[in-house]
Amino acid sequence: MRERKSVKFNLQQQQQQEDQNGHLSPFKLAKLFDPDASWDKDQLGDVLHWIRQALALLCGLLWGAIPLVGGIWFLLFVVLSSGVIYGYYALILKIDEEEFGGHGALLQEGLFASVSLFLLAWILVYSLAHF
Amino acid sequence: MSSTLFSSMKYSDSLTVVGISICTAIVCEAISWLLIYRTSSYKSLKSTIDKASKKLETMKTTDPSTATLVKKSKTKKIDRVESSLKESSRDLSMFKFKSGGVVALVLFVVFGLLNSLFEGKPVAKIPFVPIKLVQKMSHRGLSGDDMTDCSMAFLYFLCSISIRTNLQKFLGFSPPRGAAGAGLFPMPDPKSN
Repeated sequence: MRERKSVKFNLQQQQQQEDQNGHLSPFKLAKLFDPDASWDKDQLGDVLHWIRQALALLCGLLWGAIPLVGGIWFLLFVVLSSGVIYGYYALILKIDEEEFGGHGALLQEGLFASVSLFLLAWILVYSLAHF
Repeated sequence: MSSTLFSSMKYSDSLTVVGISICTAIVCEAISWLLIYRTSSYKSLKSTIDKASKKLETMKTTDPSTATLVKKSKTKKIDRVESSLKESSRDLSMFKFKSGGVVALVLFVVFGLLNSLFEGKPVAKIPFVPIKLVQKMSHRGLSGDDMTDCSMAFLYFLCSISIRTNLQKFLGFSPPRGAAGAGLFPMPDPKSN
């Protein structure tokens, strides 16, 4: 049974108020893989966005260099990147998606920009390396 | 040596398009910062929207054991906060719209320049045949039946979306998540364009 973790907004707000300097706690890299960490909606959204962009760039460069040709590889990228994002927040972070607007809201973070970036990288590398 | 390599590539024009897009994105964000982001009105509106969004999320966390009377007053409060959020979002949009004309002009000029440089010339090769709807842009102004030829317009479109969205995100200029219009396909902030 999948363990669900709910984000305590009130606790987070309290922690922010208690902070003497009025600054948020520094964002630690370890938090990216910590299933016990509490997440702010904006923070999680930003992390998912940048993961998608990194995947898009990597796949675009790779697909273009090999090269992989055909629309099926575009669909594969979309499925792959969505799968990675889902696996990250559901299995590694063990996020309760209801606290963040559901699967749709989490999966669409950075989707459009990542698809554009992927296409741009794929087209550029393919055009420059193979013609 | 690098210029020889550059000129030997059939689709080296694509790098020119990307380079101009990057410069345009930086210039547009600089103009937006000058006219919009550094103003106290924008900062105040953004802060209001952020606070209202967070308040709304907290209030929408339902407690099943809440009595009916308390639920009704909570619903009224939620409606009030939602109205306030919509109003602030609308004010933010209007504010950006007024200042976005300059950026729109820059983009118009740059697109015109690129169009004059690369009209009728494929600048890249698409590694698949796009769907009919996309072909209208990807094959715009190009002759022949090879639908994998990429026009400047399509490449510029991809550059605009990917580079400007990520630049805005990186610089912290993206619209607040609680603002209206941040839907399934969040484009680079149109009001700063």
